[in-house]
Amino acid sequence: MTDATAETITDTPAEPASAKANRRSRGYWAGVAHDSRKLGFWFVAPAVLLLLFIVVFPLAMQLYLSLTWWTPLDGVRWYRAYESFNSGDNYARLLTDGALWAALGRTVLLMAIAVPAQFLLGLGLAYLFMEQFVGRKFFYSILLTPMMIVPAVVGLIFFLLFQGTGPVNDTLRLPTSFAWLTDVHRAMLAVIIADTWQWTPLMFLILLAGMLGVPADQLTAGRLLGASNWQNFCKIVLPRMKSVIAIALVLRSVECFKIFDVIFVMTKGGPGVETETISLFLYKKTFADLDWSYVAAIGLTILFSLSLIAARGLSYAAKRKG
Amino acid sequence: MRTPLRALVIRYAFVILACAVVIYPLLWMITMAFKPFPEWTTGTGMTWFPKQPTLQNFEFVIFGHAQGLVVSLDRGIVGPLAASLITSICGTALAVVTGTLSSYAVARFGIMSLLPLSVLQLRLFPPLAVMIPVMVMWAFIGAVDTWWGLSLIYGIVTLPFAFWLMKTFFDEVPVEIEDAARVSGCSYWRVFYRITLPIVKPGLATCALFVFILNWSDYLLALLLTQKNWVTLPIYMSTLTSPMGGQMYGMKAALGLIAAIPPVVFGLLIQKHLVRGLTFGALKQ
Repeated sequence: MTDATAETITDTPAEPASAKANRRSRGYWAGVAHDSRKLGFWFVAPAVLLLLFIVVFPLAMQLYLSLTWWTPLDGVRWYRAYESFNSGDNYARLLTDGALWAALGRTVLLMAIAVPAQFLLGLGLAYLFMEQFVGRKFFYSILLTPMMIVPAVVGLIFFLLFQGTGPVNDTLRLPTSFAWLTDVHRAMLAVIIADTWQWTPLMFLILLAGMLGVPADQLTAGRLLGASNWQNFCKIVLPRMKSVIAIALVLRSVECFKIFDVIFVMTKGGPGVETETISLFLYKKTFADLDWSYVAAIGLTILFSLSLIAARGLSYAAKRKG
Repeated sequence: MRTPLRALVIRYAFVILACAVVIYPLLWMITMAFKPFPEWTTGTGMTWFPKQPTLQNFEFVIFGHAQGLVVSLDRGIVGPLAASLITSICGTALAVVTGTLSSYAVARFGIMSLLPLSVLQLRLFPPLAVMIPVMVMWAFIGAVDTWWGLSLIYGIVTLPFAFWLMKTFFDEVPVEIEDAARVSGCSYWRVFYRITLPIVKPGLATCALFVFILNWSDYLLALLLTQKNWVTLPIYMSTLTSPMGGQMYGMKAALGLIAAIPPVVFGLLIQKHLVRGLTFGALKQ
């Protein structure tokens, strides 16, 4: 090894020469602690290995399987899936698959209602919590609880609430025959309510953090100049919160697109396919139809489209910033 | 600044209304867990609070049978609870250790500048869209329905949170402290282990609790990668049905309550850092 050149690259200020000599005699590992690049390599290695393990090989396999008719029922091991190579029929199929596009439409509908609802409710709540008041901390803690509850348990809670004989019908003075989860129109509404209940607190939390980040002296200045609280809010607070609002909306939209647990526990996608979002659709294709190569094709398409959107979003954000 | 009384009243009215909306569903589950069978539905008249409070539901889910109940389960909560705990803890350890080391290297040594965005990508896609090859792989290496197979995937999917959270904590440590230690002869490893790590210890604890909550809350991965022996608590809860037919509302509520407690307690403990964790460090409180 050219130990001499390695020594010149590393900068180890005020290191006694004896230590250097000592280290050289003890081989590679003794030097690692003193070399930021070697140490850095060992620090990132486990994380990078995990990433490669979950990204590179699975992606290749997904592409491979998506080009075949392979299903686990074939009795053929996955690596011999090429025997049923179908030259991209899965991709042609997904373009004309009405059920898939309907599921996508329902996902978008859910996002289009739930995310703005959560945003507005969260914004209103955050506005109420901008100033100090007695019991603020206590109420704040209560309002945060929903988002800490296991999503599957949230599904269970709302499953119980929306039973015909459950408390919602009782509170609203509706007959016990008034169905929520088994009604084609109201099942989606119930899901939206459950999601909003759980995730409005996150919006509230993020938006409040953003609001409190607005310098107090600017608000005082606004007030001294005769602005009402409302004007202060619209003209000073909101414009300064643009990036926070963007973060909150992006975060919730991504999570909302992925929604699975709550719906799976509440309705299993039913009645019929009324609450079947994209994740539920993929789940059914995976386990009810065992159509794994088709799911792989859909998955890759989603992956590709979302990456494109994310890349565009990032470059847009970078441009706005710069 | 004095707030007028009217504004104060309006504020409290809205805040209390919001809290009521939050508590209403929770209360129903909590009281349901203590209700005996005849009170589970409103068939016999609506009761918010159990008329005859009972621990029967808890007894049933813990032991698999309870006095006075004909039905019994082939197994109680102990297995799924242990599975949840073991896989969440191992997954958390994996994510926190790899996340801490790699984020330190990125924050201080400036290597792998692509890493932050690439780990973030892991959280972008619906898990089901990318799980087919993972399921095939897991079956291939014999990791399906094992504690380590589930821990491994937990560690991987929560790595982005651990990475970004720890990165923000490292970014807050003044570099001058580390430089001072370097100048007095500490190796890079010693600086990390003896100087920086003790400083970010509270951050490390926050990160561990946060990641634990995420792992504990998982439903989908356990649904896909376990079958029987390592079924976790949420899966066990949602599959609980009586062989005699019908939903076991009371027992499910008891299970839900048990599953909900750890994350709520931990979440309230790290309240201050929730924003930071959930926004990948983009925002602080």
